[in-house]
Amino acid sequence: MNADTQKVVLNLPATAEFVDVVRLNLYGIASKMGFSYEDIEDMKVAVSEACNNSVLYAYGQEGGHVEVTFEVGEETLSIIVEDEGESFESVKDMGQNNTLHDKDLHDVQIGGLGFYLMQALMDNVSIENSAGQGTRVILSKNLALSEETV
Amino acid sequence: MTTNKNEKFNVVTEMDERACTVFLSGEMDLSVAPEFRLVMEPLVGEAEQDLIINMKDLKYIDSTGIGILLSILKARHGMNASFTVEEVPPQIQKLFEMTGIAKFFVPQENSQ
Repeated sequence: MNADTQKVVLNLPATAEFVDVVRLNLYGIASKMGFSYEDIEDMKVAVSEACNNSVLYAYGQEGGHVEVTFEVGEETLSIIVEDEGESFESVKDMGQNNTLHDKDLHDVQIGGLGFYLMQALMDNVSIENSAGQGTRVILSKNLALSEETV
Repeated sequence: MTTNKNEKFNVVTEMDERACTVFLSGEMDLSVAPEFRLVMEPLVGEAEQDLIINMKDLKYIDSTGIGILLSILKARHGMNASFTVEEVPPQIQKLFEMTGIAKFFVPQENSQ
């Protein structure tokens, strides 16, 4: 993070009802930065998937919080989704191809698509987790200067 | 107060003797997944009727929503009953193609 990076931090209850608030904030910040409509749609999906994971796996039924930090750089937007719950199991399977492309309908498994979407839709994704320490997902997208902006 | 109304998830169902068409609008995400499952459950069991989901006014879908579509596909396939989607917006079609679910939504041949 360089000196020109500005931060916006959201701290939300880790429940499904607040994931749309993250999307609304993302929309505001990303359009202000000049991202294209398509890039913003991509980021909305990726960031929601990261939040879904915190809501679904990190906290079980207990009311925890998710912290979402938007790091606004000159050419890059990084979104950090952090929780303090137990880390989700699926992380270890991340390297595998979880898409449905090579599968028949009776072979497909529901789940795993969220991780795939995060990686496919962002320029850079990193996931840090250790047992009992929570999970930190960092999603980054670079501004493509030639595209039409919102 | 009208600005965000169109983002709210809503389901409208239309039935005739041949088909059941489900019109989705707003954002289909984790928070409305239980509601969507509940609405779809009885419709999925109707093997005699074609099941169609119209996505013209659907603004957003996440992997939870795609997962539900996948489970409907599996159930309908198992019953040998049809299930199609129509008027899929480009940004949603893109996700269908990325995840690979698109290939299961190929247009059905007319069974005449």
